[in-house]
Amino acid sequence: MCRCFGILLLGSLLGLLAHPAFARGTVLVVNSGAASLSVVDMTTRKEIRRIPVLREPHHVMLTPDRRDLLVGDTVGNELLDLDPDTYALRRRIPVADPYQLGFSPDGKLLVINGLARAQVDILDAASMKLVKRFPLKTMPSHMAFSPDGTRVFITLQGTNRLAALDLREMKVLYEVTVGKVPAGVLWLNGRVLVALMGDNGVAVVDPATGRVERIVQTGDGAHQLFLSPDKRILYVNNRVASTTVALNASDLTTLRVYPVPGGPDDIDFAPDGKLWITQRFAHGLATLDPATGAVDSIPVGRSPHGLIINPTAEATP
Amino acid sequence: MDPTVPFDTAAGWLQEHAVLPALYWLGLMQWEDVGYGWALFAVYGVAQVALMYAVCLPLERWRPVERWPDQKAVTVDIIYTLISRIGLLPLFTFVLFYQLQVWLNGMLTDNGYVPPTLERLFPALLGQQALTFFLYVVILDFADYWRHRLSHRFAWWYDLHALHHAQRQMTFWSDDRNHLLDDIIGFVWFTAVALLIGIPPLQFPLLVLLLRLLESLSHANTRLRFGWLGERLLISPRFHRAHHGILAAGQRSCNYGALLPWWDMLFRTADFSRDYVPTGDPEAEEALATGSYAVQQAAGVRRMVRTLAGREAVG
Repeated sequence: MCRCFGILLLGSLLGLLAHPAFARGTVLVVNSGAASLSVVDMTTRKEIRRIPVLREPHHVMLTPDRRDLLVGDTVGNELLDLDPDTYALRRRIPVADPYQLGFSPDGKLLVINGLARAQVDILDAASMKLVKRFPLKTMPSHMAFSPDGTRVFITLQGTNRLAALDLREMKVLYEVTVGKVPAGVLWLNGRVLVALMGDNGVAVVDPATGRVERIVQTGDGAHQLFLSPDKRILYVNNRVASTTVALNASDLTTLRVYPVPGGPDDIDFAPDGKLWITQRFAHGLATLDPATGAVDSIPVGRSPHGLIINPTAEATP
Repeated sequence: MDPTVPFDTAAGWLQEHAVLPALYWLGLMQWEDVGYGWALFAVYGVAQVALMYAVCLPLERWRPVERWPDQKAVTVDIIYTLISRIGLLPLFTFVLFYQLQVWLNGMLTDNGYVPPTLERLFPALLGQQALTFFLYVVILDFADYWRHRLSHRFAWWYDLHALHHAQRQMTFWSDDRNHLLDDIIGFVWFTAVALLIGIPPLQFPLLVLLLRLLESLSHANTRLRFGWLGERLLISPRFHRAHHGILAAGQRSCNYGALLPWWDMLFRTADFSRDYVPTGDPEAEEALATGSYAVQQAAGVRRMVRTLAGREAVG
């Protein structure tokens, strides 16, 4: 008995010593349907740890100072504050329905979309206190900030609308219809791009007026948009078509279409140029090599949604 | 390998290749998450039906309590089972429960009160799936004992519940044979308790599958007992058959438990003495026993309305 305890204690101490480097070279995947987080080793391409959470986590976000990793558990009604070096839980912050998370460019505000409760909460990022709540009908899902941080654009999945909020005055600037089931949203070249999940493309919206200027066809069920780290390629995931489409970021012309099975959702970019993509319905984490189009998949938990690569890599020499 | 993987893979395939294209075509893509919830319920529902068929049918063939010249009355029970375990009912209850949970718990969180869950009360339970599930099961089974007991106690409620008891050819298919209103009351009851203890509906699908198998087994037409100790730990077909016996129908019954006999023992409603009695409710009208699905549903409502209007239900 005593010997077992000693071995356990030694193991724990070794674990603690190993912690600072633990997160390096890993991907953290949020399994929305399994109430867990998967830690995947990027070298061995294996899930090395499964972290249980309370109910239904969806997205993960690193704080601007890179000191905290926030995971929103929607049905659990809490934000989990993890140590990005070790993924150890630091604290639980009670927040109603934290579905999508985003920090304003100056890092002072944390915007939280409550998809099921049809509300958008603006929190003071330092104190985590609620500054303003916007009830928005319905299903606020994704967000994008203007580069100057004065506005945030929220897609309203249930009512086919895009809302623009003024973060200085804390008021709704406008709500406009942009197309069927708007989901992912991104600011690019002075325009707001909105992926239309009920349609087959991306709406290009004038941020000043909310007017849809044109639709860029990408594939059925356009869901999320991600700009490559060099800002030259825009990747669009199409949920129904099960494809990832690469567009030229300057003129939005199609460069290549990559089949990615299993309902591709969120993307993060690895230093080697590969895309890591959650596959909601295949319960996998895909890696896409954009040079060859090769796709490999690693099994993770049920309905993986958000992900983040190696959150401490840039901060750690 | 994680045993849930084959089921999750099947549900994912169903979602990707059938549900999602259908939602897209119908212009209902905002419900894709709900669609996936249904795909999971449907896959696990099919697995439940397949498993109970594979386990219970051989037992019924091997050692039947009763043999019938034909089993026409059982057909409607199969319909009840398919509606209850694969069809719209799980979708409806899942959506409603999810919405209620989000609304209530979000409101509580907004007011500075952290919604209760067993795992918050006992953080060591996080990640201990089997133990957590067992505790949830014990609490829900206790709540279900009282729901069931009260459904016999109140005449208007028993008018609906009599549909479950009217079956004279009780088989493993009879578990889901319930009046829709009785199911809705049961759902509200379950939801209230589940919200109080924060039960996660999709977190333990495999364990729910086993639980439902035990509930089906308890209705099986088979001479199966678990022994003196076993019958005091888990409800057997013999024990539950006594509840469906013709002498136990109506307002004074026994053996109300669904899974654990502990509550019957604790509240002195357990009867371990009855051996493989004939089933049915002699007071129930024939339509409840042998009518079609629609006829049975209508008869249940008619009985309840009569009672509520002050006239006794026709037997």
